Parts: sequence; C-alpha cells; structure tokens
Amino acid sequence: MHKFTALLLASAASLALTAAANAQSVTVYTAGPADLIEELAAGFTAETGIEVGIFQATTGQMMARLEAEAANPQADIVISASMDTAYDFGAQGLLLDYTSPNAENVPDFLKGENWVVQGISALAIAWNPNSGTPEPTDWTDLTGEDYRDLVTMPDPAQSGSAYELVAALVANEAIGWELFEGLAENEMIVPGANAAALNPVLQGAKAVVFGAVDYISFNSQQAGESIEVIFPASGTVIAPRPMMILETSQNQDEAKAFIDYVLSEEGQAMVAATNLMPSRTDIAADRPLISDLDILDVDPETDRAATLARFAEIFGIE
Amino acid sequence: MRAAVQKLQLGEGGAIAAFVVPVLVVIVVFPLTFILLQAIFPNLGAGSLAEPFSRLADTFSDPRIGRWTLNTIMLGSAVVFTAALVAVPLGVLRGLFRVPLAGLWDVMFLIPFAIPPYIAALGWIMTLQPRGYLDQMTGINLGQFLFSFWGVVFVMTLNVFPVVYFAVSRTMATIGGRYVEAARVAGANPTIAFFRITLPLATPAIAASLLLVFAMAIEEFGTPAALAARSGFLVLVTGIEQKLSDYPIDLPGAALLSTILVGLAMCAFALQAWVVTRRDFRTLSGKPKTGDLTPLGNWTVPVVGFFALIAFLGAIVPVAAVFLTASTRTISGGLAWDNFSTIHFEAILANRGGAMQALQTSLGLGLTAAALTGIIGTLTAYVVVRHKSLASRMLDFLTLAPNTIPGIVVAVGLILAWTQPWLPFTPYNTIWVLVLAYCCLLLPYPVRYANAALRQIGTSLEDAARVSGANAFVAFVRIIVPLISPSVIAAMLLVFAVAARELVATILLAPIGTRTVALFIWRQFEQGSVGLGMAMSTIAIAITMTIPILVTLWMQRADNQPG
Repeated sequence: MHKFTALLLASAASLALTAAANAQSVTVYTAGPADLIEELAAGFTAETGIEVGIFQATTGQMMARLEAEAANPQADIVISASMDTAYDFGAQGLLLDYTSPNAENVPDFLKGENWVVQGISALAIAWNPNSGTPEPTDWTDLTGEDYRDLVTMPDPAQSGSAYELVAALVANEAIGWELFEGLAENEMIVPGANAAALNPVLQGAKAVVFGAVDYISFNSQQAGESIEVIFPASGTVIAPRPMMILETSQNQDEAKAFIDYVLSEEGQAMVAATNLMPSRTDIAADRPLISDLDILDVDPETDRAATLARFAEIFGIE
Repeated sequence: MRAAVQKLQLGEGGAIAAFVVPVLVVIVVFPLTFILLQAIFPNLGAGSLAEPFSRLADTFSDPRIGRWTLNTIMLGSAVVFTAALVAVPLGVLRGLFRVPLAGLWDVMFLIPFAIPPYIAALGWIMTLQPRGYLDQMTGINLGQFLFSFWGVVFVMTLNVFPVVYFAVSRTMATIGGRYVEAARVAGANPTIAFFRITLPLATPAIAASLLLVFAMAIEEFGTPAALAARSGFLVLVTGIEQKLSDYPIDLPGAALLSTILVGLAMCAFALQAWVVTRRDFRTLSGKPKTGDLTPLGNWTVPVVGFFALIAFLGAIVPVAAVFLTASTRTISGGLAWDNFSTIHFEAILANRGGAMQALQTSLGLGLTAAALTGIIGTLTAYVVVRHKSLASRMLDFLTLAPNTIPGIVVAVGLILAWTQPWLPFTPYNTIWVLVLAYCCLLLPYPVRYANAALRQIGTSLEDAARVSGANAFVAFVRIIVPLISPSVIAAMLLVFAVAARELVATILLAPIGTRTVALFIWRQFEQGSVGLGMAMSTIAIAITMTIPILVTLWMQRADNQPG
C-alpha cells in the first residue's frame, strides 16, 4: 500500500515538476484519433524540442471540460470535430488570429482568420460484402426490401456529423424527410454513436451503416474487416476538424509553431496516413479526396432541436 | 454510570465527527455544490453569476422528461427486484452454509465489478445478437431479448448483484446460527426460524445493498444506451448524456436533470432509512462464533449448480466474449480457425511502455481509492449510526448522493470546483483529482456496508472496553474495527475493482498526459480497434483480479486458524 501511495505521490510530483521545468510546452485539447495526435506531438517535439501535453476525448466531452474550466483555462490549442465550435468560439472572441504560412495550399473554405482545418472526414455508406445483400450506391437504396432490418445509423443526437447529414438530406427537395420515413419503415436501427452503429455490421447482425465515419471504416478495412466504403451518388456531408489557438493561451508562439507543424508536409502526411483527408490540396492520400466527393451544403440556419425532434419521432426514440 | 458512558460516547463520536465532516465537505459537498450552482447559474464556468434560474423553465418544459423519469424508476425498481431475487439467496447460502468452493465463488462474483459496464454490454451484444458468438456456435440468437427492457434488466442485474451478495453473505456469517438454535430449542422448525429470525436480522444489510443497487441502476448510462435505446426505451441518464455528447453542449441542462436523479435517490434513501431504523438489529454482543456453518447435505449439488450458473452468466460469458474478440483477427471473420490470432495481444506487448504505465496508474489509483474510502467510510458510518440526529441523517444521505449522479456530471462539478481562481492550491491537473473523484463516486460502498454492519453491534462491547480502562480510540480500533472488517474489506474490494477501471469521470478529469487502463481501452474503441481494446481489457481484468484473489486467500487462512 505504501509503495503505491509513494508511486502516486511521485507521479503527482513529477507532473508538477514537468509543468514547472518545461516552460517550452503547449497543451492541446483534441477530439478524434488518438494515434494521430500522438504522432503529431512526437514529430513536433523531435523537430522543435517543445513538449506537447495532450487531452483527448470526444468533442462533447472536450467542450464540457473547456466550459467547466473556463474560469481558469488550461488549453492552448483546441482541435474539434465540429466546425460550429470554431464559428462560435470566434464569435465569442475566444480565439487568437493566426494565419499559418503553411496554410497556403489549404482551400479558402477550410480556413478562417482564427482557425484552420487539420483534416477532414466524410460520411459514407459502410457495407459488409459478406452480408448477402447487393452493393448499395445511394442513400435511397437503403429503403429497399433487400435491406429490411439490416441498416444501422449513428444517432444524430449523439454524433454531430450524423446530424449534419440529416439536415443536408432533408433540405434536399428530391430527398426530404420521406427518406427517413422510408428507412424507419424498413426497420433501420439507431443504436448509439458511431462505433455502436458500425459494430453490428462488422459482426454481420446488420449489413449496412447509413452515415458511417469514413476514416474509421477505411481503418477497419485495412485491419482486414469485411467492409466497403461507398460514397453515395447524391452526395454526402463532410466534417472538417478545425484547429484554434485560444486567446487565453500563455504559450502563443509555441501554439503557432504547432499549427505550422500540423500543416507542414510531414504533418499532413500523418493526417493522410490515418485515412482522414488532408486539408492541403497538394498532399497525396490513399483514398478519395475532397475534390472527388459531391459535398452537400448544410444551411447554418437549420433548427437543430426541431430536426432532432422530428428524427427521434420518426424512429420512436423519444 | 450509564449517563456518564453516554456522554463519553458523544464526546468520542464528536472527535470522529470533527475529522469526518471536513473531509466529506472537501470530497463530496464541494463538487456537489458546484453542480447545484451550475444548475442555477448557466454561465458559472466562466465565473459569472448572471441570469440565475434562466434555464429552469426550458429544461423542465421538455415533454419527454416525465416519461424518462418513469422509465428510470421502472428500470431501477426492476433491477433491485431481480438483484434481490438472485443475490439474497446466494448471500444467505454463502453466509450460513458450508458451500463447496466458497472462495472461488467470492472471486467469481467480484469479476462483474472488474469489467467496465460498457464492455460487458458490448460483450453481451457480440454474444447474443444475430451472427453473434452464440449464433455462430449453436445457431441460436437472443437479440430480440437482449435489446429489450428485460434484456437491460438482465445485463444490469448481472453487473450489480455482487453488491447485494457480499453484504448479505458477510452479515449472515456474523449473525450465524445462534439465534436459530435458540428458536429451535423453543420449538420452531428450521424454515420458520430462518424467516422469523435470521432473515429479519439481516434487514440492514439487505436494505443498504438494495439502495446501492437502485442508485447504480438509475445512474448507469452505458447499458441502457447500448441495449434499450434501439427499442425506444430512454431514461434520464440518456437525456443527460445527450446534452453532453456533441456540440453544442448544455452543462446547466445536464446539472438540472441530475437533480431529478438525486430526488429519486432521496426517496429510496428515506424508504431504506424507515426500514432499518424501525427496529433494533443489534445482535452482536460478544465475539462472533466462527466455523458453525451448517452442512448442505442433499442440497449440495443444486446449490453448487446455482452458484455455478450465476458465475457463468455474470463472469464467464462476458469475460469469454471479451477474450474471443481479443483473440480473433477480425470481427467479420467470426469464430473460424484461420481467424484466431494473437496479433492484438502482440500489439499490446509491443506497446508495453504505454500499456504498463496505464496498468500501474490504474492499480495505484484503485488501491489508493480503496484505502481512503475504507477509512473515511468506516468513520462516517460510525458517526451516523451512533448519533441519531437530523444532521447525521443528512450526512448519511450525502455519502449516497454522488452515486446517483452520472459520473460525467460529477466530473464537471469537480472541474468547476477545483478550477476556482480563489483556491490557494488545487489538485486539478494532477493525479489527485482522480483520487478525489473516485473517493466521491465510490464512498457509498464502504459507508453503506459499514453502516449495515455497525447496526448489528451493540454498545455493550465498547462500554465493557471503556470500563476496563481503554480509551475511546483504542475501543474503536480494537473492538469495532475487527467486528465490521469483513464487511468493510468486501466493500473496499468493490471500490478497488471499480476505481481500477473507471472511465466516465476519468475521461473528463484525466490530467494532461495521464494514462489509465480505461482510457487506453476507450481510445482503441474510438478508433474502431475493438480487438486491441478487448486484448487490453483481458489483460487488465486478469491483473486486477489478482488482488482480490490474494485477499480472499489471506482471509480464508485467517478463518481457518484456530483461535
């Protein structure tokens, strides 16, 4: 017992020491792939000698922590999986203006005065070819008899990108709410967040995910899972991951250097290696890029609460 | 004389209270106050007290809240009912009879606590859903049952029944057969003696542990979300989690909804308090007699069968599902010979540094939390049981409240509290904030267990010690502590098992750069690497369980020693 208490004391002390001894450090709060941020941090530290402290969680958890510690902010950089965080934080004056010299090849719609995108994921159809169902090509295919009781979808109330997909598709006059009514009629299930929707399809309980996060599906495929990623003919939504430096940061130079590193060729190659789309257009990736996709726009004026309520009503999850 | 002793006791209780109250204020009251403040002041995080109560109306006007609350009560009650149905008989048998392999069952029934609930739920899904492991082995799938209200009740009962089992078995062992013998001498048959004497005497333990089960069942998020959400059965916690799951989040809304859970727990607590204070359960007035367990005779085989069945469902099936997923290359490849592989375990070994560090941190956190909650819980229960006042009643409820609030909300409370700029020092961003969080969340186990055990002990033993010249402290340490230690040690093992794998509060509170087992596993799942996460789970469960196994062996040896 004493040994473990001593261990705890020692680790607490060492934490305090590293914080004090390393004036040269930067703290990053990030949503998204853990491996990616760890590689980026290691590469950055090797190049600059600046240590990187990492807090990784989902966007919701990260925002809860940021909001709760707002009286005493701890983060220098925030990397979110939701563009709205960048717009809202910017509007509230929480962000530091910075344009990285490495952002030159980032298209205009992926950068702003005080934010720039790290990488982009898109939503897709993830289909298990061993399921004995025909390969779907578009969202509306999944209302067909072939897929009865075989479709899953991430819950838009728990996944920001799934919400955007619903908002974009129902705004499309040719598609509208009829698509989701058809899916409900076809017994599609909404079992939870992204991982919960993919798992039954991998094991074969279901055949298709409606709105799977593409890079996670690509990673599963590379690990040998029986899964195909299909970008639907009528288009899809993307989820750019904005990086922002907080105005309150005490390490602004280090934070800027970190943003530069993520946007460097080396950093963007790491992004591409996790099967996210790099935000720079001059970086190659082993997957369809943003220019290959039909991207559906989401009207920022959409009433989120009403959309979620209608969706929940259709699928009986109230 | 009697008055003098009473006065002395108040004095000594006062000294303990003077230690306990400030500690509880720091561990429990401080963060809970900030949850309440967050519910009232929406902009609290930014240090602003503007627009008080402004979120009250729109949060509570949500028409779904009534149904969620009813569903929560239904789920909590059903889990309490089934857990009692399974665990009270198990506890009685273990406490009063000579059950073969008793130590093995104790260890097996601790395993459900060492498995994080979301992994247990995933294990059950991968076992019972169509094309799941059961389907692949036998052609039967029970998906219909699993994804229903009773499916959730089934899985949750298997997660929580040990709380009742350990409380009842330890108490039964303390009561022993003496009172039954007296009843038999007076002419009662064994069945009547059990139902009229022994079972009523175990009321404090049964009531306390069922109260814990209720609190756990209304607070737990992972299982109902994974299993019942798709049949449209939502509970309050699902609503709370939704408010924090993606951007934009709603901290005040989550805090407000949590107050309903605290209210429900308060009702359950009042019911429990009414049951246990209505009568006097003091049975222990001397050294407990050990080794007077009744042989099972002809009942040996069915009883062992019952223990084995519950161990199979509660421990073996989930662990097997975890292990199978860890040992197959891909999920879609299923249970085919060419799909079995050690690659996931190899990957964990290759990342030995990170994995070892996570294991070490988690074990250290588990032991520290168990030690601290054991001490604080025993002292708190002593103050509560010996002082019968409204203040002590409130103190008692305070130590239950954190167990009824979702871990993520407690974590928000801790962050709000410990990042206040006026604090002279703060554990935030050090490992100690996790220790504080686990103490806050897990204190209810030792408090409830010690409370039930203390209600069984008369004051005469302490009085005797005092008359013989022992001071209050010596009497407490030499008389009370040994008498309640079986219950408290069982509770500390539960705390250890939970703290070594806690996820929900840990994600939010983890100091920069800290690795724990649960975080390690969760990050693998987040990236879609289920096999890797399950390999780490297997290793973590195996290592976590060595400590309860050692404690069980040590206690058995102590039991068998003559004396």
